[in-house]
Amino acid sequence: MPARVSLIWQEAPGLSGLDPAQVALAAGVELDDGGLVEAAVVTVAQERAPRGLQERLAGLPVSWLDLAAEIGGGGDAHRLARAATAVARAAGRAAKGTLPPVYAPQPAQSVLVAGAGLGALAAAWEAAALGHPVTLATPFGDAATPGADDDPQAVGLMAAQLPAQVELATECELIGLAGSAGGFSARLMGPQGESSQGFGAVFLAPPGELAPGCEIHGLNPELCVLASKLDPEDWQGPEDAWLHAAVLAGSAQAAPSYSFAAALEAALALAKRPRVQVSLFYTEARVAVPGAERLFRDCRAAGVLPMRVEPGGLEVRGGHTLAWFDPLLGEEITLEPAVAVMAEQSGAPRPAWLDNELTVKPWDLLVPENPRLAGGKTSRSGLYILGSLRGTAPGAPRRAEAAAATADMHARLTGRVVPMPAVRDQLCARCLSCVRACPHGVPQFVGFGIACSPAGCVACGICAAECPAEAIAPPGWGQPEMLAALEAALAVAPEPKMVLFACGQSGMPAASALSASGHQWPAGLVIFPLVCAGRTSQVLVTRALELGAKGVLTAGCHPGNCRSISGNLVAAAKLEMVQGMLAELGLDPEAVSFLPLASNQTRELAQAVEALAVKAEEA
Amino acid sequence: MNPAEIDTPVLIIGGGVAGLSAAVELSRRGLASTVVEREAAPGGRAGEFCCKAVAACARCGACRLGDLLAEAAARPEITLHTAALVTSAEQKDGLWTVELSPQPAGDDAPGPGAPLGERCSLTTGAVILAVGGQVFDPAGKSRFAHGRVEGVHSALELEAMLAMGAIGPGAMAPAKVAFIQCVGSRDAAGGRPWCSRVCCGYALRMARVIRHRLPETEVTFFHMDVQDYGRAWEEELPSLKEDIRFVRAMPGEVTAGEQGPRVVFAGPEGAPVSEGFDLVILSVGIGPPNGAGSLHELFGAAPDQDGFLAEEGPDGLFVAGAAAGPRSLNESITHAGLAASRAAARVGALLEAARG
Amino acid sequence: MRLNDCDPGFKHQVAAEPGGEGIRVCFGCAACSARCPVGANRPEYDPRRIIRAALLGRREEVLASPLIWLCSSCYTCGEVCPQGVRFTDVLTAIKNIAARAGHAPPSARITAELLAKQGRLLEVTEFENDKRAELGLPPVEQRPHDFQSILGLEPPPEGGEGEGA
Repeated sequence: MPARVSLIWQEAPGLSGLDPAQVALAAGVELDDGGLVEAAVVTVAQERAPRGLQERLAGLPVSWLDLAAEIGGGGDAHRLARAATAVARAAGRAAKGTLPPVYAPQPAQSVLVAGAGLGALAAAWEAAALGHPVTLATPFGDAATPGADDDPQAVGLMAAQLPAQVELATECELIGLAGSAGGFSARLMGPQGESSQGFGAVFLAPPGELAPGCEIHGLNPELCVLASKLDPEDWQGPEDAWLHAAVLAGSAQAAPSYSFAAALEAALALAKRPRVQVSLFYTEARVAVPGAERLFRDCRAAGVLPMRVEPGGLEVRGGHTLAWFDPLLGEEITLEPAVAVMAEQSGAPRPAWLDNELTVKPWDLLVPENPRLAGGKTSRSGLYILGSLRGTAPGAPRRAEAAAATADMHARLTGRVVPMPAVRDQLCARCLSCVRACPHGVPQFVGFGIACSPAGCVACGICAAECPAEAIAPPGWGQPEMLAALEAALAVAPEPKMVLFACGQSGMPAASALSASGHQWPAGLVIFPLVCAGRTSQVLVTRALELGAKGVLTAGCHPGNCRSISGNLVAAAKLEMVQGMLAELGLDPEAVSFLPLASNQTRELAQAVEALAVKAEEA
Repeated sequence: MNPAEIDTPVLIIGGGVAGLSAAVELSRRGLASTVVEREAAPGGRAGEFCCKAVAACARCGACRLGDLLAEAAARPEITLHTAALVTSAEQKDGLWTVELSPQPAGDDAPGPGAPLGERCSLTTGAVILAVGGQVFDPAGKSRFAHGRVEGVHSALELEAMLAMGAIGPGAMAPAKVAFIQCVGSRDAAGGRPWCSRVCCGYALRMARVIRHRLPETEVTFFHMDVQDYGRAWEEELPSLKEDIRFVRAMPGEVTAGEQGPRVVFAGPEGAPVSEGFDLVILSVGIGPPNGAGSLHELFGAAPDQDGFLAEEGPDGLFVAGAAAGPRSLNESITHAGLAASRAAARVGALLEAARG
Repeated sequence: MRLNDCDPGFKHQVAAEPGGEGIRVCFGCAACSARCPVGANRPEYDPRRIIRAALLGRREEVLASPLIWLCSSCYTCGEVCPQGVRFTDVLTAIKNIAARAGHAPPSARITAELLAKQGRLLEVTEFENDKRAELGLPPVEQRPHDFQSILGLEPPPEGGEGEGA
């Protein structure tokens, strides 16, 4: 039986002029008189509520509603109508949300850092400073061995300062990983053989390796020296002639700035030697790191000749002659250098298990170029990939990346109680849809059922959207609560009714910003906040239409910007299916649509809702 | 030192993405902080940037300001004073004492935080300067005719135009658009011998937004070298080069033509060519923070050879974001994590010393 | 062209001449070429191409080239160069080396002779001074001796044609 819902009115900017009693009456709930409460709607976000109220409501089903952010501007009647729909929707959810919230068990606090070099040491240092027991598994015999692209001195210094709570496992590699934040299980291969250990979080920072450059250019290896191995003292011209040196700084394809800068340093050192003429070959002069533009100028002032070539335009003949076309002079130039300095890019090989292990997402999904996953984060909660393997520039950027990743790890493992998807075992068909769907790796198939990692969940609700049996959902995001909320809101919304499902990272912040600036939403619009657009489903959208909505808009992030990697894509695909269904039924498929949006695209959202309203008016 | 003297463990100067991110990172580490913002609302420059997604997210990071504002508002450890100016700072016994004074603010500005009510003085264990960089004023390169010839805009103005929808179908639809790179960057003669790092990225992204909205529009990109911007960027460059006309020549000037601005540049044959455009965008660079001189004096922060602030100053002073050198939004956010880590270690050491 | 056959020392030689210091920092951004008024009329005259040839060490080609004598010395190139290279001065340095190597064109010799003789390029006749007098301006002073002594030349046996003061 649904619970009786009380409206607990908390004044907030943007709510002035609204009569709480009127709102409660219009939404069909009781206004709180300080008495017993079964379930409640509060008119401010939980963070903004006074502590006393939070204590009073502890353990009860509560919808914390940022009411001001949803009602927007307009006349009093308009604002009352919108407040009523929003409260009704929240009440529907609170009434159904009678399952006690499920909170995670204590996540494991210990941390595995697998790798070597500056990034790995920085991560170990930072994690230990935050009080986590750390295991540093390095493939080398000691912690002070740097990666090929690290500054050995900085690495040595950091290794010497490693705190006592860092346990060093030498000649040890990570060979397999399962689980998610708070509950990883790692397989390690050390001198004593294979072992399996549990960790709360895992940092993967394999040491960088320089890609040898000679093969790329077909140059005789005897002519070639790696920039990092170059001793300028070895080179000087004969008494009466010039010695020609070629420095290859991203001459086949443009180098990243940090390796271009390394090439410049080598070129400058050589150019200062007696009678050495340095030619610097590059496709783009990459000077986007501090000091590089000055260094580039210093090189030229010292006599280094800048030779810009087209990608693939530098030819090697007979293993010893470089040939390229100079567009300015309109002719081919050739050079037989006495030495060729290679400043090629560094990288780290991807551990084989990352590609083989079925339980880890493919690389592009694990480490997508997603701005929300900057700072070492991956799509798998609690797994951080740092340094060379990720392509982060050596030096300070690696330290920054390690610091950001560690703070995120600490917040995830020790933050306020984390909601964890509730699994109703008797409903679960063991179809593993949730295991496949969850971008964060939270549900795992363990033994005979689904078990969830204790700290990985962000409540995106993609598992709930995918589960065919309504057996799994983050607290509050199950099908019954959501349908109840939708029904309650649409029941009191004036005609023409419309629904905006708004993603918590894009659609909802944009809607709130519009409301705060006094934007007048169509009175019949129900704004339905979601954590992630991925929580929408065919059932929700079609139910909205059944309940009289003339249009349904889902506003989610742009592709490549979803915090849950694919929630937006999943939502768009589902809406496309609904559109197909509507077309088959002879209805207007355009009644439902997906709007890719960023949180700062308020204008685009306002326009889309306006277009929706125009269509709804016509329908 | 007496820990009871501390009003706030860490004081963060500047409420842009770097400052907000530093506050959030400290909060994640369990430390409270106070953010001081000069303007009436937090957000800094990032609030002026448009979303550059076309078919997919362009990873410009402009949307992350929204994430940060929401997270900063939700974390009770973070206090945010807006419309507040630092008037003095002094260090004694390992602690900083910083005086703040209220600034006249406009009417109710949206966003978290509240205007500073009255003059106050805060004692703190660490200071993070996150005052951002200064965008180059294109008036400093008068030959590019900004403010003189209609149709010449700075990239910052283009951000606003794109955000407001001023360019696109049904609005302004220029047939030809030119971007001029390195305006106020890589300019030794102009006293700015550094690469601003972000301009190639934002210019090409905005060029793509224009091409996406107006597929008929021709975009020309005048540049010296295309800088790097991460792995995915390298993969995208070849297709960008098919979509946009790349001209590797630094234009000499922009003149007023009858139909609009004209860009004068060295043609492939060597002789100067004057070509007409409807819109000329100057990709302005990032310089050291405004008033770096006075901050330098207030806090004793050491400027580097280009005037940017060193990441780690005297005891308990840290610098985050573009104030320490040109950085993208995403990079500033990550960079603030390092300053937060250092500040947290510093405050931890102070407390340890006080106890022991 | 074989770079090994070029003269890497040439750019250093130019840089050692007064005014030639800036040559080495050029990397061909083309700002100078965009504004050169000579290039606008003679497309084969491209400042950045001349610098490029000099930097690569194509000494003979550069010194013998008639193009280096075309510069109008307007200094626009130096004004726009982001690297602060004053191409006009660099070219003067190159021209000095060329002249010493016997590459000066006849026009340069005539110019030098005029300077030596008159102290200026254009001869001032009564026509100009009459015009000046009409406008209330004093006549132009002609002081070729000063110039000749600067150039270290013997004054001509019969004295200058100028009126002197």
